[in-house]
Amino acid sequence: MSSEVNTDFLHDKRLDAIAADLLRPVGISKGFLIWMGFLTISLMGCIYAYYIQWDKGLIVTGLRDYVSWGMYIANFIFFVATSLVGMLISSVLGLIGFKWVKPIARIAEIIAVAFAAVAGLVIVSDMGRPERLPYVFMYGRIQSPILWDVTVVTTYMVLSALLYFIPLIPDLAISKGRMGHQPKWLQATYEFLSVNWNHSSYQYKILLKAVRILLILIIPTAFAIHTVTSWLLAVTLRPGWDSSIFGPYFLTGAFVAGSAAVVIMMYFVRTNYKLDKYLTVYHFDMMGKLLVLVSIVYLYFNINEFLVPAYKLKTADAIHLHELFVGEHAMLFWSVQLLGLILPIILLLFKFFRKPFPMLVISIVVLVAAWFKRYIIVVPTQENPFLPKQFVPHAWMVYQPTVIETAITMGTILLAVIIITILFKLFPVIPIWEMAEEECSGEKDKHQE
Amino acid sequence: MKKRYLSLLLIVLISFRLSAQEWVVPAENGAKLSPFAFSDSTRKAGAVLFQTNCKSCHGDPGKNNAIALVPPPPDPASAKMQGNSDGALFFKLVSGKGPMPSFKNTISSTDLWRVISYIRSFNEKYVQQIAPKSGIAGAAENVKVLLTWSKETNQVQAVISAMKEKRIQPIAGAEVKLFAKRYFGNLLIDEARNTDAQGKAIFNFPKDLPGDSAGFVQLSARLTDDAAFGEAKADTTLAVGVPTYRPPLNEQRAMWNVVQKTPIWLLLAYIFTVLAVWSFIFYVLLQIRAIYKAGINKNQDTIDS
Ligand code: HEC
Repeated sequence: MSSEVNTDFLHDKRLDAIAADLLRPVGISKGFLIWMGFLTISLMGCIYAYYIQWDKGLIVTGLRDYVSWGMYIANFIFFVATSLVGMLISSVLGLIGFKWVKPIARIAEIIAVAFAAVAGLVIVSDMGRPERLPYVFMYGRIQSPILWDVTVVTTYMVLSALLYFIPLIPDLAISKGRMGHQPKWLQATYEFLSVNWNHSSYQYKILLKAVRILLILIIPTAFAIHTVTSWLLAVTLRPGWDSSIFGPYFLTGAFVAGSAAVVIMMYFVRTNYKLDKYLTVYHFDMMGKLLVLVSIVYLYFNINEFLVPAYKLKTADAIHLHELFVGEHAMLFWSVQLLGLILPIILLLFKFFRKPFPMLVISIVVLVAAWFKRYIIVVPTQENPFLPKQFVPHAWMVYQPTVIETAITMGTILLAVIIITILFKLFPVIPIWEMAEEECSGEKDKHQE
Repeated sequence: MKKRYLSLLLIVLISFRLSAQEWVVPAENGAKLSPFAFSDSTRKAGAVLFQTNCKSCHGDPGKNNAIALVPPPPDPASAKMQGNSDGALFFKLVSGKGPMPSFKNTISSTDLWRVISYIRSFNEKYVQQIAPKSGIAGAAENVKVLLTWSKETNQVQAVISAMKEKRIQPIAGAEVKLFAKRYFGNLLIDEARNTDAQGKAIFNFPKDLPGDSAGFVQLSARLTDDAAFGEAKADTTLAVGVPTYRPPLNEQRAMWNVVQKTPIWLLLAYIFTVLAVWSFIFYVLLQIRAIYKAGINKNQDTIDS
């Protein structure tokens, strides 16, 4: 983000064209209503599943004595992971000065807000007595990573929300006068949220300062959120979790999942909103390169995470790794590693696969694999505890997720999609003022057509 | 490797066989009878003892919810348990076998009979036989045990006396055991001694027995033959141990302690970080306010309205 805003674009004709393009998808369309209706009805089903769990307790899930963290915690880690991309795109790449992230930054921020917000709920889904949630704050221990996690997830969510909202303010002001055809409440919302924005250079200066603070602040926070999440597992002595590189292992994995999620959303915006002028082949190419980069780093951590214990083969690690490499979970483990990591790295090295559609397909595979990777991290470890209990029924030793549990997990994903849909539909997804400023000041990246 | 597994298997099988062996009770022990009649009060006391000492393994009588041990602890109401004579039950409680602990030193024999009276309450067909009174007839209730400690010799002396022929007389030749109370059960001090003609039994006290922070140890002297002497015993607390102060595990600040005892460095790190980050967030919120304020005056030159 540059240190000063050239406000010439405000008086340029090209602003009108850009605003018209980017505001076209905004508003309550028929497609939006149908899609939201579908999402809402599906969500109702999932809420019913949660009602059953609320009523009967966690016995309706596959969680038992051995595996007490199943799909839910895997899902939680997945949510936190995916949300991290907001920081990667806006802060790391933005602060370095890559211009191509400008039209993507808001998409990344929306993903961050939606996934961080729902992550908190996902944790509640894992609680047998959710009405005791306030106890975390009443009796929480500062020594416990759980409290640290609650703290950083909340902080990260607030930071992401601010980082979404503040750069949106000028857009809201620009849009205000151009939404005659929109419902009254939406116009009022824009009016309210645009906090008297009048494009004065003074306001731009404040905005840039605030955004800069947030961009810097969110980097350590994002590192903290996923490192602490990894500590929830790594501070225990269990094989497979007892690792000193769990923090960076999780963090780099998060960038893979998040980048894939961003690509999927970009593809959606590009085709459905017909914004291929703004999200060009070039942007996909760059995201493809980013995905390769983060995947290679993640691969590096994977090699460390598995090779070192596999070389030493301490008794408990040996059992655990056997389960992963050739045992019960081998199928899932190798699918995730090959399809979700190694294959994408190889494919994305070729320019052809960095085109929008191949990127979409690859990203979907990567994102799904990312979910199962969390499952592979959470579940197998618990099936082989250090101190096995005697005479435990077989059903308590292995984990078999139930339909109810799956439905609840689906519900959380639906909820994230609903939040994303609403933010996509009610506000411009691509920053109007930044596009216009770039266009009018001729600063556009040269590669971009 | 294979060989190791085989020998392991062998050991397991052998120990399995050993533990599956019949629990043989010598005839004289099997014939032993309770010195007192079972009543509601003994059953009630026995129920409490059973709850605290036996239920964890044997479960609730009649519910067959014993824990899965090898061999399994039989349900107290079961035919297997009730098939024992009173003496056999007593013998098994005193001696223990495999996972079944010996209660010889932890529960007094009177209390063991109380537990047995409770176990018997689940057997409708049971009819009790009481041991004929023996030893010093009629004096059983009046047995007195007096404990003293001599610092010079580091010895504990127990003097046993009883009312006999309307006179207080020392009891000679009775076996006495001295116990020190520990966290779990009682520790036998020295060895069982017989009283001399003056009714005295002398126990050598170890020099290094840990006591409480002031060196106090709870001592208890018991007569072994409670068929003859009833529940005669003496409990005293004497400053005979080595003063030991074991700080409670939750005394100091620690990672695993309650929140009030968080380690200082962690407390400061947490508070400082949270305050630092949130003060920036708060500052940013103020900036939104500043934007809002700046807009009030100059709203007229907004380009698009
Ligand atoms: C640590 C577990 C455990 C505790 C505590 C325990 N038992 Fe047992 N008990 C066992 C086991 C195991 C057996 C079977 C032993 C065998 O057959 O080799 C057993 C056997 C017995 C038997 C013999 C039954 C037979 O085979 O005839 C009696 C009687 C008995 N227990 C009574 C008690 C009483 C009374 C208590 C409490 C004062 C008690 N037990 C506490 C584990 C326990």
